[in-house]
Amino acid sequence: MSGPATISDRVRALAEQEGLGRALQLFPEQVQAAAERGLRPLGEAPVGTSPILSPAPVFDPLRFERDQ
Amino acid sequence: MTDLAWLSVAEGSALLREKKLSPVEWARALLDRIAARDPHYNAFLAVTADLALQEARTAETEIARANWRGPMHGVPYAAKDIFDVAGLPTTCHSKIRKDHRATSDAFVIRKLRHAGAVLLGKTALHEFATGGPAFDLPWPPARNPWSREHHPGGSSSGSGAALAAGLVPAALGTDTGGSVRNPATCCGIVGLKPTYGAVSLSGVFPLTYSLDHVGPMTRNVEDNVILFHAIAGHDPGDPTSTSRAVADCLSGLDGGIKGLRIGLIEHFYIEDAAADPEQVRGIERAVDVLRSLGAEVQAIRVPPLALWTDCNRTIHAAEAYAIHERDLRERPEDFAALTRARMLPGAFIPASKYIKAQQLRAALCREFARAMRGLDAVVTLSSLFLPCRIDDPAAIARTYDQQCRLVFNVTGGPAISVPTGLSQSGLPLAMQIASRAFAEPVVYRIAQAYCAAAGTCIGAEPRTQPRLVTARTAAE
Repeated sequence: MSGPATISDRVRALAEQEGLGRALQLFPEQVQAAAERGLRPLGEAPVGTSPILSPAPVFDPLRFERDQ
Repeated sequence: MTDLAWLSVAEGSALLREKKLSPVEWARALLDRIAARDPHYNAFLAVTADLALQEARTAETEIARANWRGPMHGVPYAAKDIFDVAGLPTTCHSKIRKDHRATSDAFVIRKLRHAGAVLLGKTALHEFATGGPAFDLPWPPARNPWSREHHPGGSSSGSGAALAAGLVPAALGTDTGGSVRNPATCCGIVGLKPTYGAVSLSGVFPLTYSLDHVGPMTRNVEDNVILFHAIAGHDPGDPTSTSRAVADCLSGLDGGIKGLRIGLIEHFYIEDAAADPEQVRGIERAVDVLRSLGAEVQAIRVPPLALWTDCNRTIHAAEAYAIHERDLRERPEDFAALTRARMLPGAFIPASKYIKAQQLRAALCREFARAMRGLDAVVTLSSLFLPCRIDDPAAIARTYDQQCRLVFNVTGGPAISVPTGLSQSGLPLAMQIASRAFAEPVVYRIAQAYCAAAGTCIGAEPRTQPRLVTARTAAE
């Protein structure tokens, strides 16, 4: 990724793939800004955080029994 | 008789119970005031006068027969137009929901009906509880009663404005990144984001499933406790609702804060961002008050504000986009520009980033729990800046993330915004008091002790607070 033109091409492709062709046509600058914001990586997590040791969403199979 | 516009829930409730005030008289006085003054503030999207008078008459009859239901019986309130009320539209302040009509009540509306409260109407918000004050929607944005040219905060902007303008003594808001506490801050009132799961989300249009909270908004702390007690409690229909009993926040409310240990998160507004000096002076004065009341206040550190912001905003954008995906694809022009700016990033967030944000949330919560060891609560700023002009979208966008509220949507613990005074330009200043999950009693106790000592809450005794009265009167 080198310059704005490349980013725009990428954004265009992503937006169309996402079904946002109409938004892209009507609000191209907003779609561009949204893509930049959405694709920006997260900040550095606190020391000791690991994607292996800290699974985020916890699935609880018993919950569906309790819901009955 | 006290001016009914500024009557608190607690005072009004006592008068109603003693039959010194009629619920019909109170409701009618506020409906008249709304008719006369709300055109200046746009706090209400719909005024439910007929329903209100009917509920007020029922309350009057019941109280006359000594069938008093509790402290909200006969008390007027308003609800952000994101809560379902059977037979009424839930517009979410959006063109997209203009023709919607709810078939049943949200759980909290049902609870307030059972409590005998009187719904005066539904209040303005930022479209779908995000974005900002928009001028490209079917309804105008709510205005700040302290200065009509300034942002009243949001997204529960109408609820905040209605309270500060003396149109209602109590209101409901929702809070995903600070939407109860921001209007509380900007309008000089009291707003609590309770513990996640403490108040049901059933029948409330979602913004971000895992960060949404329903919260009480009032002009003073005691009233906030009363409304919180009325709406909190288990809802079997809401998978996020806790079955834990609601803690009694009222009996220890006036117990004082001598000996309490409070952490001060000042790096948020001194190191992580350069906050407005008046907001900083406001919280410094507030900390002096807390110390003078016997609390031990010490600076603590948690992860930097930017990391909390990243976490909250990633989860927010991804989940909100999942809700609005079809409309953003098919009719993006029907959203306000500010709303699109908040929601469209969700289309581009990779699944891995969303999952990492959830992992980050767990890590941040662990860090917060570690920092809270040995402490009863923490205090920090709410807004980093003063309310900006309402007609300046660049300033709205710039200040959107310049705040410390979203931290506590990530932790899920209770956080309250209380006024700390006024800026030189007469705009409200505020701080937050927060704690660990289900610690509402201690958060309220600190808020009550502070507000009683500092005299910064409007409504309870407004005439003893000349600066507040002067500014409010000027706004009117």
